[in-house]
Amino acid sequence: MSSNSKDKDNRRRRRSSSLMYQEPPESLEQQSDQAVLPNLNAQWVNAKGAWLIHIIIILLLKIVYDIVPSVTQETSWTLVNITYMFGSYLMFHWVRGIPFEFNAGAYDNLNMWEQIDNEDQYTPAKKFLLAVPICLFLVSTHYTHYDLAYFMINFLATLAVVVPKLPALHRMRLAFLNPEPQPTDQ
Amino acid sequence: MESSSIPASTSLRVPDTVATVAANTLWLTEKTTDLLQRAPGSAVVVRYVQSSYQNDPIRSVVELLLFLLAVRYVLAPQYSPRKKGNHVELSEKEVDELVDEWTPEPLIEEQPELVQLSENLPVLHKDAPSGPRTKLRDGRTVINLASYNHYNLSNDQQLVESAVSTIKTYGVGPCSAPGFIGTFDVHMKLEKDIAAHFGTDDSVVYSQSFSTISSVISAFCKRGDIIVADRAVNFPIRKGIQASRNIVRWFDHNDMGDLERVLAKLVSERRPLTRRFIITEAISENVGDMVNLPRLLELKHKYKFRIVLDETWSYGIVGRTGRGVTELQNVDAANIDILVGSLAGCVASGGGFCTGYQIMVEHQRLNSPALTFSASLPTFLATTASAVIDRLQSSEGAKDMATLRERIDSLRTQLDRSDWVTCTSAPENPVLHLVLKDQHIKNRRLTRSEQEFLLQECVDECLNNHSIIISRLKSMPLMDGLHPRDVEKEYQPQPTLKVCATAALSKKEIEKAGIAVRHAITAVMKRSKWQRGTAPEA
Repeated sequence: MSSNSKDKDNRRRRRSSSLMYQEPPESLEQQSDQAVLPNLNAQWVNAKGAWLIHIIIILLLKIVYDIVPSVTQETSWTLVNITYMFGSYLMFHWVRGIPFEFNAGAYDNLNMWEQIDNEDQYTPAKKFLLAVPICLFLVSTHYTHYDLAYFMINFLATLAVVVPKLPALHRMRLAFLNPEPQPTDQ
Repeated sequence: MESSSIPASTSLRVPDTVATVAANTLWLTEKTTDLLQRAPGSAVVVRYVQSSYQNDPIRSVVELLLFLLAVRYVLAPQYSPRKKGNHVELSEKEVDELVDEWTPEPLIEEQPELVQLSENLPVLHKDAPSGPRTKLRDGRTVINLASYNHYNLSNDQQLVESAVSTIKTYGVGPCSAPGFIGTFDVHMKLEKDIAAHFGTDDSVVYSQSFSTISSVISAFCKRGDIIVADRAVNFPIRKGIQASRNIVRWFDHNDMGDLERVLAKLVSERRPLTRRFIITEAISENVGDMVNLPRLLELKHKYKFRIVLDETWSYGIVGRTGRGVTELQNVDAANIDILVGSLAGCVASGGGFCTGYQIMVEHQRLNSPALTFSASLPTFLATTASAVIDRLQSSEGAKDMATLRERIDSLRTQLDRSDWVTCTSAPENPVLHLVLKDQHIKNRRLTRSEQEFLLQECVDECLNNHSIIISRLKSMPLMDGLHPRDVEKEYQPQPTLKVCATAALSKKEIEKAGIAVRHAITAVMKRSKWQRGTAPEA
């Protein structure tokens, strides 16, 4: 409420013309709101079975695409790869905030990847979540017999989920690849 | 395999040592490959590596790089970017310097003079009655014009008796939150009574008047929502706004033109669709004047905002049956999305309420902090409030209100004659806010804190020489931890004297009291201490 913090917020506001900007650290008020309760939205990645479910989902996707008639192994693996990458991009990097109402929107500016493990980098969960898409890519590109077109599609899809996971891009926002930020001005 | 014979043939030319090293290396490589091939699953890897090199080294390199990235990521040690930025390495010397520089704060801080002033309150006698005539500790009988007990209902024999009989039936405290086992039949009756009084769907009763509005605001707003609030709103509203972490815009006090400017500007900005509220008071606690409700509703409908109206100072006071500003200005209470009022003060009970649509009320029962975390209203206060609401709608209540209006007019006529102060309150408001006239503030170059001291002298003068208790406006404590420089930027109400009219005194008595207050102010203003800067009077 103080005028002092108003000025600060105004200075930090994103200019709509810039293509890339870094999400500023949260205000003290917001940090204390975040600390009120454990972040139930991001905590489950460390829960039992949360790692196994990735493998299970990938296998199920493979089965589902194999069942569809006239889908070749190449297409099937590529579809599995694309579906998994799309889903995980949507979940970890596109959607921001928390769908539940328990800390007055204290995480509204962070996507799920940034919420995991309290923003710590190179945690076991994050390592696993980065390794899965890379392994899936290596496998799928193997079974698509290294056809150039399939290789490119799979490779780009993998890059889309691997690159935003790197610590260098922590809190970085690119126009077009991210939804518009919430106005946080006073 | 055939390369193993090469060292033997070249050993003639190169020194023996080199030949041995090379031979050993090759032998080692062979052994390792052999071992690796024997390891389970190695065939798969070998097959994979062989098949991935499909006469296209670039693709293989890309894959290898991706694989190395994963390996590097997996092997990297964990760190926290949050802590990284804040940590400063200090040398031993720097630590010593910091320790030397540190001076501990006193355990009990010296209070600023102004705060000491506020603590210098008259103390009542232990058997003092709570009515308009009361007794100080030194035995002096004084007239109390600092109480919100405007109808003197707290001394009404019937109400006292019914409160006593409620205590005998239910005990004093409900001992639990309303959502748990703290709701009694009398609470439900009170909620129905309030809703019936306003003609709304439903209402919910809070146990403390102060926390009602703060809690209601934080039940409905969260980060990202927009609040447009009057600059002069009272302290609990400010606390509610602060706790709900939303975007706030302020408009000048009761200035509907400024409100329209703020609303138009907000609507023209491209913003995600969030909840939007206008928050204001029916009768202002800090200034005493009244909102223009029909115009406010016009703007609300035009710009599609919701209204939170705080009727704390108007409920039971204005309107034909004391329903507040909605009744006085002929507005249907159903137009007010969230209407909050108080049962403390003139209702002679305690607690507050929020009334309106069923769905809005029900939302609060689980989402409002003051309802879920604090014990419900004591039952005898609930029955008292019910009885007073009945009374307000009866002929008795109408008589009370008519008397109070007469007393306000009498008191105001006397105070308006003063050369030194003007009254900023609405004519219906029994709390008369007296501010120093601008010309005197300007002529005598009075700062805000000097005005406070001057008004405190008026309060003391009234008590010491005229035996009348009045008070200063002390409703806006300074924000904690703010630098004085920043405090200046925040809204602070103009220092005022508060004189409360009461229906329990006769017309003569209240006129006499008004004259006494006026004389007390004149006496203080003429003191040589406050004369500086004035031109010698002709």
